[in-house]
Amino acid sequence: MSDDTLFAEVLDPGNRADPYPIYARFRRNPVTRQRDGAYVVSTHAAIRSLIFDPRLSSQDLPPSRRPRTGNPLRDWILNPIKNRVANGHRPLIFRDPPDHDTLRGFVMKEFTIHRVNGLHQRVVSHVDKLIEACRGRDKVCLVEDLSYPLPVAIICELLGVPEKDEPQFHDWATRLATALEPDARRDEDTRRVTVTTFDAIAAYMRGLIREKRRHPADDMLSGLARRGTPDQPAMGDVDLISTAVLLLVAGHETTVNLITNGMLTLLRHPDELARLKADPERAPQLIEELLRFEPPVHFRTRKALGEIEIAGTTIPKGAPVILLFAAGNRDPERFTDPDRFDPDRDDVQHFGFGGGLHYCVGAPLARIEAEIALVRLCQRLRQPSLLADPPPYRPGASLRGPQNLGIRIAGIV
Amino acid sequence: MRVVVDLNRCQGYAQCCYAAPEAFELRGHEILFYDPAPPEEARPRIERARLACPVRAISVEPAALAGEDAP
Repeated sequence: MSDDTLFAEVLDPGNRADPYPIYARFRRNPVTRQRDGAYVVSTHAAIRSLIFDPRLSSQDLPPSRRPRTGNPLRDWILNPIKNRVANGHRPLIFRDPPDHDTLRGFVMKEFTIHRVNGLHQRVVSHVDKLIEACRGRDKVCLVEDLSYPLPVAIICELLGVPEKDEPQFHDWATRLATALEPDARRDEDTRRVTVTTFDAIAAYMRGLIREKRRHPADDMLSGLARRGTPDQPAMGDVDLISTAVLLLVAGHETTVNLITNGMLTLLRHPDELARLKADPERAPQLIEELLRFEPPVHFRTRKALGEIEIAGTTIPKGAPVILLFAAGNRDPERFTDPDRFDPDRDDVQHFGFGGGLHYCVGAPLARIEAEIALVRLCQRLRQPSLLADPPPYRPGASLRGPQNLGIRIAGIV
Repeated sequence: MRVVVDLNRCQGYAQCCYAAPEAFELRGHEILFYDPAPPEEARPRIERARLACPVRAISVEPAALAGEDAP
């Protein structure tokens, strides 16, 4: 396959278990044009120079389009208005400055150091409870037993979303995360489902926000939903809903990959598993290497607002740009022996949480969750070993991780 | 222990402030204040801060190197 259709191979589910050889082919050129007009950026240096470039826009979502209902009032009046509102109120991940910075400022004000670090003990007790529930079994299904329920419980607690409602929005969250994938964004049917899904989850959030305003609690959503005053402006209602949905979905669909990829990598490197078990202080460094080696998000897309000269290529105005973070993370120009998992390497400057203005808001929380989960799993699972290698993968090429991870165990400590 | 932050590299990602709030504080959007000689008991958190920095701007040196009394 020639280089101008190489990205199709990244999207091919058959390559999900090991996309890294494809990334190596991309890296032969820092920027590779695809036949459909998209530009793939794959080297560490090129990605690093573009993540702060204001000529790259994150406002690259296709316009919102609600499905036909047959009801003329809806089809010709209500839904076009709703589409316009939705197009003007994207969540901050799809916004540029200055709007992005204002919205992110509101979020950061609530994502306080005190609130995030205060979750530490809750994460420990959740992890122990989830591991304890596996007692008496000879097999752990890591995604359903721990990697998925843990971040969900924690994001619900942080936002103030009742965890009992989770079964309701579980499918919504999965569908909205799927909608970020490039092939889903091109597909008309998927886009219609996305809009309907967003309407459903937005209706749920609207109700919850009303409730928070009546009875404010000590959670992020109550803080974000605070009414503005002239001195202390607050988020508008539409932005509030899209932000709440973004945080909920991000909390659902990313940390799950970090924890599962982490355990998969440790089981493939039993010496590292043993070292972590003996010395949990190794965890922070191991997790940074993990974010380089098997990041939870492999790429993000942008749009060129103007012509961009980079590494001998001119990206034309309006072209989609794919920042292939996971390829930059394994660039031999930047890292010695990049395909080796080596927690002892000292210079792990990775794109595991992206970079620039859109650097993952939840990074500090993800680090806490991954560290506690991986350390406790190593300490408490007796003689863990993989039941299948490679494991089956979820469909996403960007939000990439195992569908499930079967681990044989000899018991729980 | 002596902490040095390369403020030319620092981009205000604030990851150090979460990892070791007693030693790092971001004021406004990008002005980082930090304690260049934090107490020894903060070491595990300082180490987390160093590792979490997306631009690797933090370095930790033994106090002796900087001409200070060893802890």
